[in-house]
Amino acid sequence: MKVELQNLTKIFPNRNKKIKEGVVAVSDFTFTVPDGKLVGLLGPSGCGKSTTLYMISGLQQATSGKIFFGDEDVTDLSPENRGVGLVFQNYALYPHLTVMQNILFPLQNLKGKDKLPKEEMIQRAEEAARLVQIDELLDRKPNELSGGQQQRVAIARALVKMPRVLLLDEPLSNLDARLRLQTREEIRRIQKETGITTVFVTHDQEEAMSISDMIVVMKLGVIQQVGEPQEIYDNPINLFVAKFLGTPPINVFRGCVQNGKLYIGEEAVLDVAGVEDKPVYVGIRPEGFTLDENGPLTCKLSGIEVMGRDVSIISTNENSTNPSVRSIINSDNKVDATAETVKYSLKPHKVFVFDAETEERIYF
Amino acid sequence: MVNTKHPWKAWLYLSPAIVLLLIFTLWPIINTVVMAFQEGYSIQQASKGKEFEFGLDNFAYVIEYRGFLTCLKNTILLCVLTVPISTMLALLIAVCLNSIKPLQKFLQTIFFLPYVTNSIAIGMVFAAMFNVVGTVSAKEPIIQTWGIINNIIMFFGGEPVNWINAGSEYWANIFVLTVYIVWNALPFKILVLLGGLQSVNKQYYDAAKIDSTPKWRVFTKITVPLLSPMIAYVVITGFIGGFKEYSSIVGIFGEKMGPPGAMGKPLNTMVGYIYDSISRQQGRASAAALILFGIIFVVTMINLYVSKKKTHY
Amino acid sequence: MSDIAKSQVMHAKDIKQLSTQQTVAKILAKIAVYAFLGVMALIVLFPFYWMLISSVKSLDEYILAVPTFFPQEFHFENYIDAFTTANLGTLFLNTVYVGVVSTALSLVITVLSAFAFARLEFKGKNALFAALLATMMIPGELFTITNYITVSKLGWLNTFEVLIIPFLVSVFYIYLLKQNFMQIPNELYLAAKVDGTSDIKYLWKVMIPLALPTLISITILKMMGSWNSYMWPNLVADDAAHHLVTNGLRGAFVVEEGGMVNFPVQMAAVAIVSFPLFMVFLFLRKYIMKGVSRSGIKG
Repeated sequence: MKVELQNLTKIFPNRNKKIKEGVVAVSDFTFTVPDGKLVGLLGPSGCGKSTTLYMISGLQQATSGKIFFGDEDVTDLSPENRGVGLVFQNYALYPHLTVMQNILFPLQNLKGKDKLPKEEMIQRAEEAARLVQIDELLDRKPNELSGGQQQRVAIARALVKMPRVLLLDEPLSNLDARLRLQTREEIRRIQKETGITTVFVTHDQEEAMSISDMIVVMKLGVIQQVGEPQEIYDNPINLFVAKFLGTPPINVFRGCVQNGKLYIGEEAVLDVAGVEDKPVYVGIRPEGFTLDENGPLTCKLSGIEVMGRDVSIISTNENSTNPSVRSIINSDNKVDATAETVKYSLKPHKVFVFDAETEERIYF
Repeated sequence: MVNTKHPWKAWLYLSPAIVLLLIFTLWPIINTVVMAFQEGYSIQQASKGKEFEFGLDNFAYVIEYRGFLTCLKNTILLCVLTVPISTMLALLIAVCLNSIKPLQKFLQTIFFLPYVTNSIAIGMVFAAMFNVVGTVSAKEPIIQTWGIINNIIMFFGGEPVNWINAGSEYWANIFVLTVYIVWNALPFKILVLLGGLQSVNKQYYDAAKIDSTPKWRVFTKITVPLLSPMIAYVVITGFIGGFKEYSSIVGIFGEKMGPPGAMGKPLNTMVGYIYDSISRQQGRASAAALILFGIIFVVTMINLYVSKKKTHY
Repeated sequence: MSDIAKSQVMHAKDIKQLSTQQTVAKILAKIAVYAFLGVMALIVLFPFYWMLISSVKSLDEYILAVPTFFPQEFHFENYIDAFTTANLGTLFLNTVYVGVVSTALSLVITVLSAFAFARLEFKGKNALFAALLATMMIPGELFTITNYITVSKLGWLNTFEVLIIPFLVSVFYIYLLKQNFMQIPNELYLAAKVDGTSDIKYLWKVMIPLALPTLISITILKMMGSWNSYMWPNLVADDAAHHLVTNGLRGAFVVEEGGMVNFPVQMAAVAIVSFPLFMVFLFLRKYIMKGVSRSGIKG
C-alpha cells in the first residue's frame, strides 16, 4: 500500500495564549512512500518528523493537506479506522498484560465481519511472536523483559493485525549501542519478510542510512531532500543535508569563488568553471582528500588515528568551520606523523560548494 | 547522619509528642483490651473497689444484645451500599472529567465542594430536603409540604414517600442515608481517581486507539487495571470510613438515631453503640471497639489480598 | 509468516460513511459526557442551593405545597434569628479558640517530632517510627473509651483542655512533615552546623520555610477538624459554655414530636456555619486537595 502525503501542514497553537500565530511543526509536506518500502524520516529533534508520523497514524490531525493510503483518502479518518500499526518510542506495552495478551489485544478489537475465530487469533499472534523471535517469552509481563525484548513485543503487536502501514517512532533510541545494531537489522529483515510499507522516524543518520530504502531529510518542518541513502550522501542539496549525513561529518570551509576557481584562504583548490564570483562554503567529505605533496590545501597536522584499513588524519585549518579537519585515506599511504603540515589535493566529486548566504548547493 | 553525640536532643524534641501519645494512644490501647476482658467492667463500680472477673462475658453480651446487632446490621448495610455505589460513580465522573478539556477545572472544583462541609450541618440540609411538613402518620394525613424531593418525584409522576418523618420505613431511611453518604464520599474518591488517571501514560490510550479498541474495552481492559491501585485505595479507605459511620446519621436524624417517635435507635451504628456505652458500660464499649477494630482489620486485609491478586504488575 | 497470517485482517470500508460515522459518534460521546457531568454537578450543588434559598425564605413560603425555586421575598433577618437562636456567637468564639490553640500547639509538636525523625540520629528511631505508624491503623473509637475515663479522672470534663489536649499529636501529620523534611538535602543542615547555627534556628530559618506548603495543608486540615468535630465534644463538653459549632448547631434545632422547626432559620444557621469553610476552600483549594489526597481522612 503506497502512502501519499500531499501538502501536509501541522500548526500547533502557541503555548503563550496571547500570541495568535501558532507554531508550524510541519509545513507543506509532500511525499509518496512507495508500496512495500522502508522509509526513514530523518532530522534533528524538533524538525517535525514525529508529528508527520503521528499525522499518518491519525493520532494528530493535519491542519491542512491530504493523506492517501493507496487511493483512499484517510485524512479525516480517526486512527482506529486507518488500520495502521504504530510502535511507540517507549513501546507503550500494557504493563498488566502478558506478552501474549499484548499481542492478541489488537486482534480482539476486531468486530463485525473482521472478527476472527479464537484459534486464528492465537495462530496469528504466535506467528507474529515467532517473526520477532520472542515466542519463548509469551507468558512474561513487560517489566520482566529487557528493552530489546519489549521493542520486539511492540513490533509484534503492531504487526499482528497486518497493518496497511507500519509506523515506528524512534524505534532504536531506547536501546544500548550493541542492541541497536542488532535490532536495526531485525527491523530490516521483518520489513522485507512482511513487505509492509513502513515509515520510521529517527534522528540518527547512520540508522536511517543503514536500513532505509529511502530517506526524507527534514529541518524545521520542511523537507530538505528525498532520495535513496547513497544518493543523498553523494549529492546533498544544501549545506544542512551535507552536514547532517555522514560519519565522520563532512568538513566545511569558508571559501570563495573567483574567476572560475574555488579558493580556500589564499589557495585555489579546485576549478569551478561557470560559477559566478561570490563567497561560499566548501564541504569536503573525509574521503575526498588525497595526500599530495604538491596539493593546494595545506593544513596543520595535529594527530593521526589508525583504524586498520584506513587512516584518519586530524588537522586544523584557519578557514575550517569545524574545530578540526578530518580526512580518511587508505593506509597504504605513508604519513609522516612528525611533520608540521599536511598537503592535500581534492577529489572533485567529494567536494560540494554552497552559497554562503542561502546555503544552497552550487553545481559545477 | 549527624548529632549522634547528643541523642538526648532528639528525645527532647520528641518528648511532647511521646508523652501525649503514651497517655492518649498507648495507654488506651492497653486499657481498652484489659477492660474488654473484665466481665461487666464499669468505671463507676471499679472506683467503689469492685473486682471484675476475667472472661469473654463483655463480648458475649455485646454480640447477643439486639441493639448491637441492629448497629452491626446498619453499619454493614451502609458500607455495602455506599462503598460500591460511590466508587463506581466516582470512577465514572473521574473518567469523564479526564476526557474533557473545557470546564475541567471548574467541574473538578464543584465536585470537590461536598468535602469542605460540616457533615452534621449539611446533613440537616438533606433532612430538610427529604422532610415532610405536616402529619404523615395519622389516618388522615395533614400535609403542608411534601418536601422538595417528593415534589420532584411527584413532578415526574411518582408517589411521594415518607422518607424520614415519624412512621417512615426503614428502607426509606436507609435510602436517604445512602444518598447522603455517597454525596459526601464522592469528592475524596474523585480527587484520588482523577489524580490516578492523570498520571497514567497517555500513550497507552494512543496505542489502544491505533488498535481500534472500542471505548468500553479501553475502560475495562486498560483504564481499570491501570487504575487498580487507586481503586483499591479508595475502596479500603471507603470501607474503613463506612464502618465508622456515625455523624451522617446524626446530621439527618439527630441524636435519636432514627425517625421521630421510633423506639430505641433503629439507625444506630457500631460507633454509635460504643459512644452510648462509654459513660456507663466501659467493658462492653471496649469489647465493641475491639470487634469494630477486628472487622476493619479483616476487611482491610481481604481488600489488600484481593487487590494484590488483581494488580500484579 | 504463513499465508493465513499474512492476509490483511481489516477489510476495505466505505471511507465516506466511516468518516461521517466517526464524527457523529465523537460528537454524541462529547454531548453524553458533558450531559452526565452537568447532571452530576447539579446534584452535587443542589443541597447548597436549597440551603441558600431556603435560608432567606419566610416559614410560610418554605412550607408552600408547591415549592418556589427562588425566594419571593428575601428575609435576611433569618440570619440574625439564626445567630441568636443557635447562640452562634458563643459557638464561633469557642470553636475559633479551640481551633487556633490546638492548631498552634499541634504544629509545634509536629514540627519538633518530624525534625527529630528526619534529621537526628538516635537509638530505636526506626522502631519508634514504625510503632507510631502502626497506631494509624487503629480506629480512634478504640482510644475514646479510655480517654473518656482519663479526662474524667483528671477533672477535665466541660473544659477547653479536654477539647484541645487529647488530639494534639497526629501521627499522620508527623509522617507527612517528616517525608517533606527528608526531601531537604542534609548538606544544608551540615552547612548550618559548621556555621554554628543552632537546631532551632536552622529549623526556623531553613526547614520551616521550605516545608511551608505542607504546614499550610496541616493547618487547614486541623482547623477544619475542629470546625467539624462532633462526637468527642458531645461526649466530654456538653455544657453550653464549651459547646463547639457543630454540637450547638445540631442541638439548637431539635424538635419534639408535633412541633415544627423554623426551617429557614435552621438553614440560615447551617449557611453561616458552612460559610467559613467555603471561604477557606475558595482561597486555599490547592493545599486542601494536596493534603486530602494523601490522607483519606476527613478533617
